[in-house]
Amino acid sequence: MTVTSDKKFREIERFRRDHELCMKCGFCISACPVYREELVESAVARGKNQLVRGLLNGELELTGELEERLDKCTLCKTCTQNCPAGVQIPSVIIAARADKVCYRGIRFPYNIVYRSILPRRILFGRLVKAAGLAQKLFFPKAEGTLRHLPLILSGLGKGRRIPQIAPRFLRESVNEVNSPPAGTPVKLRAGYLTGCMTEYVFPDLGLKLIQFLTRNGVEVVVPRKQGCCGAPVYMGAGDFETGRKMADANVAAFKDLDFVIVDCATCGSAMRDYARYLADNEEREKLYTEFGKKVIHITAFLVDILHLPPEAYQAAPDVLGKRVTWHDPCHLNRHMGVQEQPRKILKSISGIEFVEMNEPDRCCGMAGAFSLHFYELSQKIVDRKIASIVASGADIVASGCPGCEIQLMDAINRHKLPVKVMHIMELLK
Amino acid sequence: MLDRAIIGKLKSIVGEENLLLEKEDLLTYSYDATNIWIHMPDAVVLPRTTSQISSVMKLANEYRIPVTPRGGGTNVSGGSIPIKGGIVLCTTRMNRILSINKATLVAEVEPGVVMQEFNQILAKEGLFYPPDPQSAAGCTVGGTVAENASGPYGLKYGVTKQYLLGLEVVLANGDVAKLGGITIKNRMGYELLTLFAGSEGTLGIITRITVKLLPLPRAQRTMLALFDSTETAGEAVSRIIGKGILPAKIEFVDNWFLRRMEEITHLGLPVEAEALLLIQSDGDIDSADREIQQIIAICRDIGAREARAAADEVEANKLWQGRKSAFSAVYSSAPSVLSEDITVPRDKLPELIRRCNEIGKRHGFPIHMVGHAGDGNLHPAVLTDIRDKENFAKASRVIEEMIEAALELGGVLSGEHGIGLEKQRFMARAMDPVALRIMKGIKKLLDPNGILNPGKYWEDQGI
Repeated sequence: MTVTSDKKFREIERFRRDHELCMKCGFCISACPVYREELVESAVARGKNQLVRGLLNGELELTGELEERLDKCTLCKTCTQNCPAGVQIPSVIIAARADKVCYRGIRFPYNIVYRSILPRRILFGRLVKAAGLAQKLFFPKAEGTLRHLPLILSGLGKGRRIPQIAPRFLRESVNEVNSPPAGTPVKLRAGYLTGCMTEYVFPDLGLKLIQFLTRNGVEVVVPRKQGCCGAPVYMGAGDFETGRKMADANVAAFKDLDFVIVDCATCGSAMRDYARYLADNEEREKLYTEFGKKVIHITAFLVDILHLPPEAYQAAPDVLGKRVTWHDPCHLNRHMGVQEQPRKILKSISGIEFVEMNEPDRCCGMAGAFSLHFYELSQKIVDRKIASIVASGADIVASGCPGCEIQLMDAINRHKLPVKVMHIMELLK
Repeated sequence: MLDRAIIGKLKSIVGEENLLLEKEDLLTYSYDATNIWIHMPDAVVLPRTTSQISSVMKLANEYRIPVTPRGGGTNVSGGSIPIKGGIVLCTTRMNRILSINKATLVAEVEPGVVMQEFNQILAKEGLFYPPDPQSAAGCTVGGTVAENASGPYGLKYGVTKQYLLGLEVVLANGDVAKLGGITIKNRMGYELLTLFAGSEGTLGIITRITVKLLPLPRAQRTMLALFDSTETAGEAVSRIIGKGILPAKIEFVDNWFLRRMEEITHLGLPVEAEALLLIQSDGDIDSADREIQQIIAICRDIGAREARAAADEVEANKLWQGRKSAFSAVYSSAPSVLSEDITVPRDKLPELIRRCNEIGKRHGFPIHMVGHAGDGNLHPAVLTDIRDKENFAKASRVIEEMIEAALELGGVLSGEHGIGLEKQRFMARAMDPVALRIMKGIKKLLDPNGILNPGKYWEDQGI
């Protein structure tokens, strides 16, 4: 390999060990949700890694065809889970996306969204608000509270039905510091990264989370300077430069706090992985690593840090008597290693019945921009999930990632099923 | 390169969405699970029906276009690499399970069904399909028939050909042949069915497969035995079989493999042993436990440093998971790996191990061994680099000597991986010349233009 090509694929080089350790055994094949639908080799980790190999040895160039194949991955990490050598091909793919960005840039309109809008919370908020208004004006109200996703978030909507933009964003309703009610001693102080979905679409979830934590003795700090976690920007689109700006902003916003709680698994794993992908110097390496250790999903925080007793989990009145199943978000399960904690909570809630669905850890096919670039494919993936949910006989599918929830809501709505999608925190009183 | 008229015809046969022509796609059909050969096809077709395959074959036969059939592409002897270019005919999109009949213990499937998924679905019915190549998570049923594949279960349950009841195959000229049937016994005419088990895509494209099934064993028990020498481990295997005990699996792993597997899996494998035997017993709870106790006694008697049942299912799974990583363990250890598949009569296993050790020592070339010891099938591997001519030549000599040793002991070139590109240079030496002549005659009869998987089996491509 020449020196220039080494430089050209700087990010891939960082994951050379993973790239080279793949021995093409093909154990990742049946595990891959994309392969399962497409049934072609370029869909699966082994094939994608060979494409990267082709890129490194000069057989292939960074064409649109290659870009599309590298983009066609949900980063669900099932391949890694099934790899006898634990090879992290998703990391190679993210790195390849980053190297691609250096040469080809990001396609329109995502370039504007990722580079100029997402990093600016206030501007983003105003635009979302405008979009919400447009949503109200231009899209007929669909079933229940579901509306078509506004242009700004979807690229082009594509008929997807998701909840409407909230009239009042989360940060407009909460203080920066939220103390436990009078008489409840403060056990812990923790930061809360609200995430774009909770901030703009599901603010009630955020309110509930804060309320639950404060009632259980946690002082919840919602730093005003926090921003987007960067997942769609650096993981999805490979824009590491913008990703670093976002990471730096969040690291600074939470610097005085020991915990960064997330209700969104994707936000959580993206922030845990700042060091893995974005650290470009020693200082960032140190800062990002320390920050990553503070990031924790709400379910893990409740079970592993607060050690709440089973009685602490009481069912909200509207879910009493319901049968509930759990969808493992890939970013929670395989990326953050949280599987048991949400189940522990669900089993503790008296007044609901918890049932496991078949393949609860199968990817739902959301994966951010993936589901917009490849909407039909994403629908096929989620339809398998829906079949598992229906077979479980559950009234409610609970999860720990608003991204997954939007995907599930869209599919359930498309199939007109009587199943409700809820964040696990919404089940609680 | 295929000309535009041919491409147009292919497109009209399988439809645009089932024809791949972009370089980015062709590259992903240029390899299998080996790391020595690579060759790009000119086109990949992913047919959905037998009649599409028939039309593709008619076209290819008319224009003498090489056609290399492929399933999951997890094979390990170069069999699915389109070494002469042309068309890769990949059956992954024909992946329906057509029927599972619990009353007759028979299932019919399309070739693209992934083995692991097939067994997961069968397990729900309390059934299983025993051939268990270690690549079950990626390989297809069609591929396992074409390779006559097997794995650890071969010891007790035999190999793919023993489960075949019927096949539908498309011949080189596009004719569709139905072979065998759906009955357990079938004594009509020649056993044409078995011809296709291990045909490696050189005789026809397998489009439908009828297999017999077994009920899932009620209990499975795992044990491990650690030895201070590979040869003693080999002796133990012969002793177990000699006592009339036939466990489901007896797997052999040497110290180098153990260490390497542990490095990549961090499972906590017993890396201190010179050799490990990993044994599984199937049956009722009582019979499986009893068999394991008998084997433990034999292993201790012969001098195992440790022999015990796995503590629980968690440890058992861990051990088998470790065993599954053997392929990655060895192939990730050098730029080129020659992993053999020699198989000897079971009682000759200790002697084969001894000879392999001796060959390695004599050439100063370490030989690492893992294998399905219970059925005399050893996978000795040598690590080399094809770019280093001297080293590679030496490695090849080591391989030749090991093969020679296996043949001398009454063994065969390949137990389960097949000939492909890897072993064709040994075919003339290993096979009876009359048998070889008959095979070539059959090939000529079924594929007179030599378009099916050309460059494999017969031709000496050399490496």
